[in-house]
Amino acid sequence: MPTAETIATAQVERRPWLKGWDPSLPVLIGTAFFLIVLMLLPLGAIFTASFWDQAGLTFSKYIEVFSNRAFLTAIWNTVIISSWVGLISVVIGGLLAWLITRTDLPWKKSIRALVMASFVTPPFLGAFAWTLLAGPNAGLLNQLYRALTGAESALFNIFTMQGLIFVMAIYSFPYVFSMIANVCELMSSDLEDAAGILGANKLQTAWTITLPLALPALVSGFIVAFLQSLSLFGAPAILGLPAGIHTITTQIWTFFQYPPRLDLAAAFSVPLLLATMLLIAAQKKILGRKGYSTVGGKGGQRRLVRLGRARIPVFLLVLFVLSLSVFLPYWILLKAALSKAWAVPLDWANFTLDNFRFAFFQYSDTQLAIFNTFKLGIITASVGTLIATLIAYITQRNLLRGARFLTFFALAPLVIPGIVLAVGLFIVYTQPPVVLYGTIWILFVAYLTKEMPIGFSQAQSTFKSIHPELEDASRIIGANRLVSLKDVTAPLARSGLIAAWCFIFIGVIRELSASILLFTAKSKVVSVVIFDLKEEGQIGVICVLGIALLLVTFAVILAAQWVVGREVFATRE
Amino acid sequence: MASVSLHRLTKKFTGMAAVEDLQLEIGDGDFVSLLGPSGCGKTTTLRLIAGFPQPDAGEIRVGHEVVSSVSLMVPPERRAMSMIFQSYAVWPHMTVAQNVAYGLKFKKLSRQESDQKVTKLLQLVRLDALKDRYPAELSGGQQQRVALARALVVEPQILLMDEPLSNLDANLREEMRFEIRRLHEEFAITTVYVTHDQAEAMATSDRIAVLNKGRMIQVGRPAEIFDHPKTRFVAEFVGKANILAGHLDAGSSLALADGLKIQVSGDADAPTHGEAAVCLRPHNVVLTHQESEAQGLKDKGFNLFPGVVRRHIYFGDTIDYSVELSFQRMLRVIAPPSQRYDNGQQVYAAAHPDHCVLVKEA
Repeated sequence: MPTAETIATAQVERRPWLKGWDPSLPVLIGTAFFLIVLMLLPLGAIFTASFWDQAGLTFSKYIEVFSNRAFLTAIWNTVIISSWVGLISVVIGGLLAWLITRTDLPWKKSIRALVMASFVTPPFLGAFAWTLLAGPNAGLLNQLYRALTGAESALFNIFTMQGLIFVMAIYSFPYVFSMIANVCELMSSDLEDAAGILGANKLQTAWTITLPLALPALVSGFIVAFLQSLSLFGAPAILGLPAGIHTITTQIWTFFQYPPRLDLAAAFSVPLLLATMLLIAAQKKILGRKGYSTVGGKGGQRRLVRLGRARIPVFLLVLFVLSLSVFLPYWILLKAALSKAWAVPLDWANFTLDNFRFAFFQYSDTQLAIFNTFKLGIITASVGTLIATLIAYITQRNLLRGARFLTFFALAPLVIPGIVLAVGLFIVYTQPPVVLYGTIWILFVAYLTKEMPIGFSQAQSTFKSIHPELEDASRIIGANRLVSLKDVTAPLARSGLIAAWCFIFIGVIRELSASILLFTAKSKVVSVVIFDLKEEGQIGVICVLGIALLLVTFAVILAAQWVVGREVFATRE
Repeated sequence: MASVSLHRLTKKFTGMAAVEDLQLEIGDGDFVSLLGPSGCGKTTTLRLIAGFPQPDAGEIRVGHEVVSSVSLMVPPERRAMSMIFQSYAVWPHMTVAQNVAYGLKFKKLSRQESDQKVTKLLQLVRLDALKDRYPAELSGGQQQRVALARALVVEPQILLMDEPLSNLDANLREEMRFEIRRLHEEFAITTVYVTHDQAEAMATSDRIAVLNKGRMIQVGRPAEIFDHPKTRFVAEFVGKANILAGHLDAGSSLALADGLKIQVSGDADAPTHGEAAVCLRPHNVVLTHQESEAQGLKDKGFNLFPGVVRRHIYFGDTIDYSVELSFQRMLRVIAPPSQRYDNGQQVYAAAHPDHCVLVKEA
């Protein structure tokens, strides 16, 4: 007769097999594997193409690239431009952030909304708008200047190094703004009061307490703005190329013009990649320094600095800065979209809707591009959110051995400029076994890779905010892992994941720097068409497409805010 | 058959042992506390019992059945256990009633039965009026009772509690201690209770297991732990303690620093000679300033320590004295408020050998 002991032993022997089968496991491992392949393929291709040719290992590509004066000039230009952009962004972004978080500046919410608007405005669109505003001949600001002063010459010429720096800076400062604003919001007035009570005056306090506390954020803001302008393609192509100014990204692009020199593009990409990696590593180090952890602590009390009489002038100044990145460009886009001739005043004689009709109903290229853009946006956002969610869940709950390395892979595209990624993907997917070039799927892979970090970070912070004990609590009273995911995790993560979807979607529809190398006649997207139409001088149609792009972007943001019920895109109030 | 036994249990996190070679028997219907400072491995032990992490060595049995070992794991949902979490883990997207009813989904009950059970439990924890509220609309204490009801409604064989009271304010915490003990007496569910608060462990438990650095130090009834601590760690962690070190002769006489000899007591496994220390609880020390009274205590076998009052704090129900002994050691004494001495006053501190308990250093 079996005793309780023997029954128990029998169960013990049967269970391991049963237990070893966790239905979620193959899904998790598959996703992790997919991510790693996604990241390693293009990078591997770039390194291979830059070091190997038919003859085997060679450094000839690097020698060819780095002995050419023109190429070296492009690198030098990029360094100069990016440094200035970084510097100006820190000044504008830092001041704005301080004004909004620490002073009694009026209309703060609206100003934040405007900063956000410049954040989501594609820089290539801004650059294009500024060619209409400050082109040396027909630019409206120059027309105005001539009309007012009677002068013959132009006041501004946007097709210069300074013009390029200016445009890139007004679209890069929001990155710095959000970083500094975060720090300012966490920095309690107590820290400054403590210095005050020990006898420091306001200036001394600012110099010895406030600035040092904000310094890591300022430096890392500089790095982020620097990196941003390092990897931009659209603005330098639109503003720099007409003046013969090459940057690294435009130079890589020219390697793809006939006859294509993939090997040189690859060799030219490697230093850009290394520079980006180094800068990101430096930024991590600066932000990670222990001494500054107090800033990350509890909010504490914050007192607002009274601007007094300067309140209104300062507000007007802020408005002026934002008019450079938002009001003026948006206005000129709208005006040109509705005009027969964009450079003359908009009256009834000049008014037309032809540009809209042409863009949406007549020109087959734009119709196809709009369709492709939406299709890619929706598919990439959906697949990207799914993968980012699974990866974030694995890393956050430590479900697989070595899960920490997945974080590294998911964030890797941060150090890969879009155009470099495109070089890698081009090499991989123009040859068997998988030929994606010529279809929109190569763009899909590019976007999926490029947007992975933003989707992953959003999903990760979502899971971080869901206490693991909430899941444990359902497991222990009878729910298995999948049921627990469905009943507890999914409803709690919903709004965060919708936000991730929106972030990816917006990122996709404005992407230019990778698309420009990967599109073909059948796989054009809106950003590429805008770039193409510029060559054809179709100003009105470009403006229509630009406005459509902006409207869709804002609609998605508003929808996301509505669904989530809070301002996902703004920093904390 | 809801006894739990932990056999040589070990769990490592990134190479560091969080729980090491842990041995513990918990009888059916027992209420056992795992007591220790933060990082001692008590929560890890609890989560091991629940089946969340897999042990690196050893095994856990429920009744006769192995539920955790290196080679097999019964998943948490099949262990017939409930757990109350430190964060309460009340689901914010479900109402109070939905939270409580959740576990019954997996029990194949009729709707009616399930509703009845939920209603009964909500009444028991006095939340029936709030059953349609969302957790965000509840106070901390109310959320805690939701967690309690949710854990009890599934009629678990074993109830696990992870510092359930640590997020409550002091008054509520004291009230809930008695509430938890009352519920235990009503349902007699085998319970493992994790806490770092010795008073909580004393108030609720049948037995207390003291843990330090992942190891079990002592298991026993609350009075045993308090009156007969086996190590200096237990003595100091559970209640206040004076630790007096000296040299032990055979025959339970301890020579202190200045040659003063005191009589001590100890368990069978206490040290018998060599360097040793005793634990003397402050409230077991009697103070007197009268020679005659001191002599009388000495005649009764008390150890006498001449000293000077250096500091005293009046607490209302007690007075906390610091008495400097002749060998410049401070002795803490808790005396009734009727015994008043001034700073600088010569006194005798007296302690019975039964209260001078030999403890091991580690």
